[in-house]
Formats: sequence, structure tokens, C-alpha cells
Amino acid sequence: MAEETHREHEQEHHSAVPYFIVWGLLLVFTVLTYWTGRMHLDKWALPLALTIAVAKSTLVVLFFMHLYEQKGANRLVIITSFLFVALIITLTVSDVATRFNLATPAGAPFGTDVPAQVEEGTAPEYQKGSGPEGKPGTPEPH
Amino acid sequence: MSEAAAHGHGGEHRFLAHHFANLGKQVEASRLGMWLFLSTEVLLFAGLFVAYSVYRYSFPRAWAEASRHSETWAGTTNTFVLITSSLTVALAIHFVREDKPRIAAFLLGLTLFFGVVFMVIKGIEYTNHFHEGALPGRFYRMHEVLLPGVSMYWSLYFLMTGLHGLHVLIGMTVIAVIMYRTLHGYYDTGYYVGIELAGLYWHLVDLIWIFLFPLLYLV
Repeated sequence: MAEETHREHEQEHHSAVPYFIVWGLLLVFTVLTYWTGRMHLDKWALPLALTIAVAKSTLVVLFFMHLYEQKGANRLVIITSFLFVALIITLTVSDVATRFNLATPAGAPFGTDVPAQVEEGTAPEYQKGSGPEGKPGTPEPH
Repeated sequence: MSEAAAHGHGGEHRFLAHHFANLGKQVEASRLGMWLFLSTEVLLFAGLFVAYSVYRYSFPRAWAEASRHSETWAGTTNTFVLITSSLTVALAIHFVREDKPRIAAFLLGLTLFFGVVFMVIKGIEYTNHFHEGALPGRFYRMHEVLLPGVSMYWSLYFLMTGLHGLHVLIGMTVIAVIMYRTLHGYYDTGYYVGIELAGLYWHLVDLIWIFLFPLLYLV
């Protein structure tokens, strides 16, 4: 019985160096995200940003949160949780993506991404264009 | 606890609760409990990430334009701040394992300091957005970007960073308590699961920010 506690004692003499390595890697990844993010790559921006974020979070989870040295149950919990996040996002977005645009309620042209061409009186204040200069109208602060 | 101590067989510890066979099992149960809690936290944020995905899918131009008006310097600095604070928490656990609780307490204090820095930068950011009128829903009044869906970006921006900021505040409170306890010799090399769990929470806050940063500031 006491052995488990004892075994934990044995594991304790680690070096702190790995933490600094992980930290360094996280900083490098952050710079990479920033750098690639500022390039505004057309198609690959989002997949790249997400890949880097997943790599960073894997580092945090495995080494800062010590998951690599923990029991199976803890791993299972967090893996399940991330799996469900991936599921809910993928399924919801694919649902939205594969439907025809829903009828657009006034002021919320959902599913479209064209500049507001809503009829007079139905657009929210900030979307109304006005004047012959074609400049957008000045929105009233509420 | 005192009942358990009264049994007095080998492997006893002042923190061992009577319903656990030994301290190792108790610590393992605590960790599992924390991981379960963290997974519910992940799912809590997942709701917002779903909303984010749907609206970003629907309004890609608004997202790109609005994101150009976010305070990228602040987001980037805060990423560095949070990552470094994660390092100090991890090191605090390392030093408590090495039986150096005073260094551990100092590192937890440093973490707390980074938490304050994060919140101050966030505060400056929010103030700027309020002045610019980059606000959710009908309060949006930023003239530079007038696209449909742009106020949705700011709604989600404030919801996501707001909920995250709340977690930073909670994390700071927990870390403060743990730091006080560490300083007063509450933990030792045989039992430091409290610091571990507080650390796990703090790392989760960092983890969520790792995703928020590119999604909000670098569209």
C-alpha cells in the first residue's frame, strides 16, 4: 500500500530543464502563429493556425499538465472532451454549410456576406448608406 | 482525517481521508476529478467556439475586417504572458517536489503577477474598443468597418475573452490561496496535489487562450 506513495517519491527528482524547453517551443510557436497570421494566407490561414494551436496545446497538456506520466483514465477524459468539441463544431458547421440560406430576418442577413442592400427602414443604423458620395451614414451612438 | 491517523499503520499521512486505501489512490482520485472538471470547462467554451465557427463561416469578410481592428499587440503580448505564467506554475510544482516550498511560493506569486499583467492589458484593450465603438450588437458604431455580421464578431469577441478573463480571475484567486498555503508549510514532497490541481486549472486557462489568440486576432 505504501509502495505507491513511495514510488511517487522516487519520481520526484526531475530536472527543470524540460519545462524551459517546452516554454521555448511555445514561444516559437506563438511567433510562428503571429508571423503566418499576419501574412493573411488565403486558404491555408485557418488550418495552419489551428494546427499550430493544437501543437501548442498538446505540449501544454502533455508536459505542463503532466498527462504523459498519468494514468489512462485521465487521458481518456480529456481526449473524449476534445473529441466532442471537434464533433459539435464539425457537425454544426457542416449543417450550416450544406443548407440553403435561411430567410433573412431584418437587420441580420444570416448566411450572406454581401454588403447590406437591405431596403430602407429595415437595415440597422450602421448599415445604411446615405448621400450621393456613397459614404456610409453616420451611426447614432446609442 | 484524524480518524484515519488513529489507525496508525504504515503509509499514513495527515491528509489521508478514511475512505481511501492510501494517499496514492487519494491523489489519483483528485486528479481524475480535476480532469473531469476541466473537460466540462472545455465543453463550456465549446459552445462559444461553435457560435464562433458558424458566424465566421457566414460572415468571412466581416471577420477578416473586424479582426484587423483588434488590438493584435495586446493579444500577442498576452499570449507570451500566459505561456510564461504557465511555465512558472509548472516550475512551482517542480520545486515543491524538490522540497523547496519557498521557491514554489515565489513562483506562484510570479504567476499571480502575470495574471495581473494579463488583466491590465485586457483592460486597456477593452477600453480602446469601447472608445472606438467596436462593441456587440446594436452598440456597434465603428465607421471603418461596415459589413453585415461585423457586430457579431464583437459580440463573440467580448463573450469569449470575457468568459476567459473570468477564468483568469478565478485562477488567480485559487493560485493566491495555494500560494498562501505553500508559504505556510501546508504542502510537502509527499502531498502537493492542491498545487497540482490549481496548476491544471491555470494551464487550462492558457490552453483556451492558445486557441482564442489566432481565432480572434489573426483572422
